[in-house]
Amino acid sequence: MGNVIAVISGKGGVGKTTTTANIGLGIALNNKRCVVVDFDIGQRNLDMILGLENRVVYDIVQVMDGEASLSQALIKSKMNDKLYFLAASQTKDKTALQSEKISKLIESLREDFDYIILDAPAGIESGYEHTIEFADAAIIVVNPEVSSIRDADRAIGILDSKSQKVKDGAEVAKYLIINRIDAKMVQSGEMLSSSDILDILGINLLGKVPEDKGIIDASNQGKPIILNPNSAAGQAYKRIASRLCGEDIDMPELETVQGSFLQKIKGIFK
Amino acid sequence: MFPWFKKKGSASTAKDRLTIAIMSDRDNNNSYPFMAQMKAEIIEVVKKYIGVKTINITKDVEGDFEALSIEVQLDKNA
Repeated sequence: MGNVIAVISGKGGVGKTTTTANIGLGIALNNKRCVVVDFDIGQRNLDMILGLENRVVYDIVQVMDGEASLSQALIKSKMNDKLYFLAASQTKDKTALQSEKISKLIESLREDFDYIILDAPAGIESGYEHTIEFADAAIIVVNPEVSSIRDADRAIGILDSKSQKVKDGAEVAKYLIINRIDAKMVQSGEMLSSSDILDILGINLLGKVPEDKGIIDASNQGKPIILNPNSAAGQAYKRIASRLCGEDIDMPELETVQGSFLQKIKGIFK
Repeated sequence: MFPWFKKKGSASTAKDRLTIAIMSDRDNNNSYPFMAQMKAEIIEVVKKYIGVKTINITKDVEGDFEALSIEVQLDKNA
């Protein structure tokens, strides 16, 4: 039985889809069968980040409405044969999602895959609620910035009241990813540190991802940055995926600048 | 080393503001419109003397009695 994990953020533009794509591929690189599902109905994007936009024939709503079978709609990744993708519908409106249909879809995905990663839409509307409804766990993606953290807290609040697991008296696991950390700014006190953010949100840290200009290039090409061995963000996603697969990987320090002696001297006079 | 050369970063301001904003967001017991403001003011007062992690205000009603319970969680590290 597969593990269903929703990737949520509250605020848009914090790197939720990028995170979903990289974690999905990272889990597949750990030799587990993984499917990433785009729940952002009307604003399909995960296909581009994964470089699969030309392969989409059927989407999630067509599968739920019985217009296509699951095996017809699932797209195998070009980069790893353990990774599959199910596209969001680009045309139909968000009311296309219905609880019973989603539940049925997720149950059949559980039979075929070890990990089912759901990319939630931004915001806290019905599309978001439907994404978290049947998830066993949620990954909350934030940037070290006030509006992202506040919106994430609201999204967590809704997760705690609307998830089926919570309604059944169980707990939904919550993991935090802090994305786009600028070590220099944290060190000079201009950016919230990960410990500040953990204090405020009060959930467990899954990983920290540094700001990385290579992300744009990766999305331009449709090749998730985890495939780039020289990228700091790519390496961070690799560690996160391995942690999700149950490995004990230590958390490297990303919030101090390791500079030369001269830079340190300059730093003193800043 | 030379604190007077250093411009103070705004991260601590962000943390304080967020803590207060999120506390009032989480408070679904907003029976009074002034609750958030009152919370913020109480935090400011207590903070003059001791570190505060969070404040919870709940309204309890028992028969004819109404009471506000104010719970102040201290921050040992502050």
